[in-house]
Amino acid sequence: MGADAARAASELHASMVWKPSADELPELSRPEMLRYLGYTGQQLGPDLARRIDEAAELAVADARPAGAFRTFGVDAAGVDANGAPCIHLAGSGIELRGRDIFRHLKDAVGCAVLCCTLGMGTERRMRVLSASDPLAATLYDAACSAYVEDAVDALEARIRSTGSARGLSTNWRFSCGYGDCPLDAQPSLLDALNAARLLGVAPTPSNLLVPCKSVTALIGLFDGPASDADTRPSCAICRQSNACPYRSRGLVCYS
Amino acid sequence: MPTYAHHVPAAPRTLDSIRIADADLRAALEGRRHLLFDGGMGTMLQAAGLAAGALPELLCLSDPDAITRIHAAYVAAGSEVVTTNTFGANALKLDGRAEVEEVYQAATACARAAGARYVAGDIGPLGALLRPLGTMSFDEAYGQFARCARAAADAGCDLIVIETMTDLAEIKAAVLAAKDVCDLPIFATMTFEADGRTFLGTSPAIAAVTLDALGVEVLGINCSLGPSELRPFARDMLAATAKPVMVQANAGLPHIEDGCTVFDIGPDAYRDDVAAMVADGVGIIGGCCGTDPRHIEQLARIIAGRAPEPRRAPGSLTVTSAQGLVELPAEGRRIAVIGERINPTGKKRLQAALREGSIDYVVGQGISQQEQGADILDVNVGLPGLDEPALIARAVEALQGATLLPLQIDSTDVRAIEAGVRAYAGKPIINSVNGSREALDAVLPLAAHYGCNVIGLTLDEDGIPATAEGRIAIARRIIDEAARYGIGRDRILIDCLVMTASTNQQQVGQILDAVARCRAELGVHCALGVSNVSFGLPARSLLNSTFLAAAFGAGLDAPIMNPGSARYMDTVRSYRVLNGEDDGSGAYIERYATWSDPYTTPAGASIEAPGAGAPDAPIAPGSQSPVEELHHLVLTGRKADVPARVRQLLAGYGALDIIDHMLIPALDEVGERFDRGTFFLPQLMASAEAARAGFDTIRDAMPAGDVADKGRIALATVKGDIHDIGKNIVKMLLENYGYHVFDLGRDVDPLAVLDAVRTHDIPLVGLSALMTTTVASMEETIAILRREAPGVRVFVGGAVLTPEYAQQIGADFYAKDAAESARIAERVFSS
Repeated sequence: MGADAARAASELHASMVWKPSADELPELSRPEMLRYLGYTGQQLGPDLARRIDEAAELAVADARPAGAFRTFGVDAAGVDANGAPCIHLAGSGIELRGRDIFRHLKDAVGCAVLCCTLGMGTERRMRVLSASDPLAATLYDAACSAYVEDAVDALEARIRSTGSARGLSTNWRFSCGYGDCPLDAQPSLLDALNAARLLGVAPTPSNLLVPCKSVTALIGLFDGPASDADTRPSCAICRQSNACPYRSRGLVCYS
Repeated sequence: MPTYAHHVPAAPRTLDSIRIADADLRAALEGRRHLLFDGGMGTMLQAAGLAAGALPELLCLSDPDAITRIHAAYVAAGSEVVTTNTFGANALKLDGRAEVEEVYQAATACARAAGARYVAGDIGPLGALLRPLGTMSFDEAYGQFARCARAAADAGCDLIVIETMTDLAEIKAAVLAAKDVCDLPIFATMTFEADGRTFLGTSPAIAAVTLDALGVEVLGINCSLGPSELRPFARDMLAATAKPVMVQANAGLPHIEDGCTVFDIGPDAYRDDVAAMVADGVGIIGGCCGTDPRHIEQLARIIAGRAPEPRRAPGSLTVTSAQGLVELPAEGRRIAVIGERINPTGKKRLQAALREGSIDYVVGQGISQQEQGADILDVNVGLPGLDEPALIARAVEALQGATLLPLQIDSTDVRAIEAGVRAYAGKPIINSVNGSREALDAVLPLAAHYGCNVIGLTLDEDGIPATAEGRIAIARRIIDEAARYGIGRDRILIDCLVMTASTNQQQVGQILDAVARCRAELGVHCALGVSNVSFGLPARSLLNSTFLAAAFGAGLDAPIMNPGSARYMDTVRSYRVLNGEDDGSGAYIERYATWSDPYTTPAGASIEAPGAGAPDAPIAPGSQSPVEELHHLVLTGRKADVPARVRQLLAGYGALDIIDHMLIPALDEVGERFDRGTFFLPQLMASAEAARAGFDTIRDAMPAGDVADKGRIALATVKGDIHDIGKNIVKMLLENYGYHVFDLGRDVDPLAVLDAVRTHDIPLVGLSALMTTTVASMEETIAILRREAPGVRVFVGGAVLTPEYAQQIGADFYAKDAAESARIAERVFSS
């Protein structure tokens, strides 16, 4: 690894909070929201179209998109408790196991760890709708799923430009749970970002995130061309591909 | 982990009942002396190279000298109180790497070694979110905090500081634990975002009144933002409590300079901003993230030779939820409507829901009352034969997740009252105590310990006095007795008890007189259940609303009533204009500018008509018969038009005919269209809603019991999983097919599933799991059912399952979607 690049990577070492300003706010992707609902071009009646609009507007109104990110050096020389090669992020307690994340980060000089959330407002609304209006809850859930992806896209773009300003290229956004990377690294990712304090995001005992509409991800930073740059979450590395509701309809879950 | 039995002390907590290190500390707790804490610990350790996310608390054991050096630098800078390096020293975060007790021992030793005058045993958040939004139970949080507080006390700390909290339920668990296991002064602070709320929506004023009532000695703000941003938050707290307020601000926001994290407020600017807060009345100061001994040195200058000004209690009665605050001012008037609908007396549907443990129905009642204009929700779930303490705890938890309104815990069972108020995130009202010795002795200690307001009924062992004088005498007795527990008049509402005008006509005037005297002579606020006054007379709502207006005139603050009655709410809203609380009549004008007065409806129209529902619309012209029409309405998901069609059909067809030959076939067709992909999920659900409207219409038209349900099904998202959208969709569809669904919720323990199956004699169970990691608990649930309830059939669904996987974990059926689960139910219940 180039010394300059390594220094550049470590310059991002504080956990930075990202709160989009009004003009930076992501737009909710309506096609994504519909895709989460299984939409494949069915004819929508005016009632349903209106309710979809209302759910989307409510989600955007309730959401307070915010994120945190921090960059760590990558150590791909270590092994996990089973003796398998794994990734350690320098200066943190993060150990990332599995072949897929290893391929993603082994040649990187740094790794940007990020967390993005819509906040507790959408979580609370979800409780209200679940108790009172299941259809509205389903539409709202899809709207929030789409919107948190939109928010994390915006944060990712911010990280890419920060990296490129330092001459670093980036690969795609990998999340625990993709491929064979277990979810149990989640708490260490949140701790390293101080996400509980900065964002109000906490893990459950089963390593899910609360608020539910929250995402953590790992982006490799490279001195020179990014490796594993074009892989995307794909059916090939997905452990759920056999039971996938999208695949059964000839669709994929990623855009 | 040791368990900690909680107990409610018989004597109130006062400065005399706790252990205070010396006279100076006591003076600080009395608000007569300033006190200086230390500054940031975490940022100093990170600057020294601590790994991100690593536990700084372990350094107390591995490198105590380094910790002592940091403490000593603060002592040298003037810190009187040194905070132990135990922010995350709870068993959850330590996760077996060290024992809680050894960390507190070592950390306290470091602080003592640094020459601290007072050592504050630090307790931070657990790092897990409490229910209902998270998964941790209140009692587990309490147990964790109890262990920390006891460890701090055993290690010799002089006080407990609970800090950086964002969840009012979590800080309450910590405060209760600290109160129960030690006798040290408690300082409790929360952290707020720029919008003036914690991540969970709590404002500084809510935090202040809730913590004050819980009995902490000092409350305040830490971390959050820089001192100038915190000043308005501190002012809100100062206005809400007479207790000492503490502020430990960050040194602004972090940014990167030459590869290092630096904070943007230097010691001098920090001092000036904190000085402004001290001038406002903040008594206890210190620093948080980004502050160092240089900042503390400057803070010492602010308070040198200075003492805080005495502050006065605001005197208003406040009721809080984690996100909402209702304030009844001491001077001037404000009306707060207490919604009475969550009370099973005389409500068959609520009774049935409670017997089934269907909390969603209770939550729905809460949400609708919030929309109708209630300010506070009364919660009463008492029914013979039910475990009321368990049920009220569940109801209170679920209501907190779905409504913003403060709650009033209503029960005649003291154990239920305790179960309701204990885990409640806020300062609730207890409904009620009365003048009898037994009630006073049982209820007031609970109100004191759990930081509640209380309604005092003017009755005692001898019943309800007939005169205003008699009622006032009992009210006085309740107020005096409450004072012995440290419960002031600002936490008491007197209910003078309405009598029926038809049998006790003379007493109505006595009641109004008693209300007026409570306000004027006793200086307490008044609540009143109004609807009894009309019992036995016609046009009850007319009489009730007139009485309501009269009671407002006499001084009533908090009517306990049905906010769903437009008539009562009209009286409330119009009185708010006369009372001067609807500023500029804005809310009134907005509501009533286009109102049509029911008394001026055209001749012939009934005045009662607006509440009776719109008349049935005629069938649209066209070739469709009503039967085809209904089929079409379900298919297109137009639920608004369904009830009218069904009512028409009920004139010519039996209920079962309509269900089995019209609604169900329509739903079946929807299911087929969904399978073919010509419908997508929301269309399936919209059709299900439309069918539901049909079922409800039939049920309302039939005598109870005539429409039998098709079978009982329990649904649950398995332990460890918190995704419940899929499960809720299945529930909706099954209900609309006529099944009786017991929704057990999300993150459901296997034994809870078994328990429901046994209690309600359920033959079919549906389990949902969205994550690979939680399929294991699905398998465990099935195994337990197989062993303990062998006749039960199980279907499973969720994104990660396959037919093979379902078979492998022992399920009887695999449901690929909601439509399939309806077919499975059909197979099980028709066989």
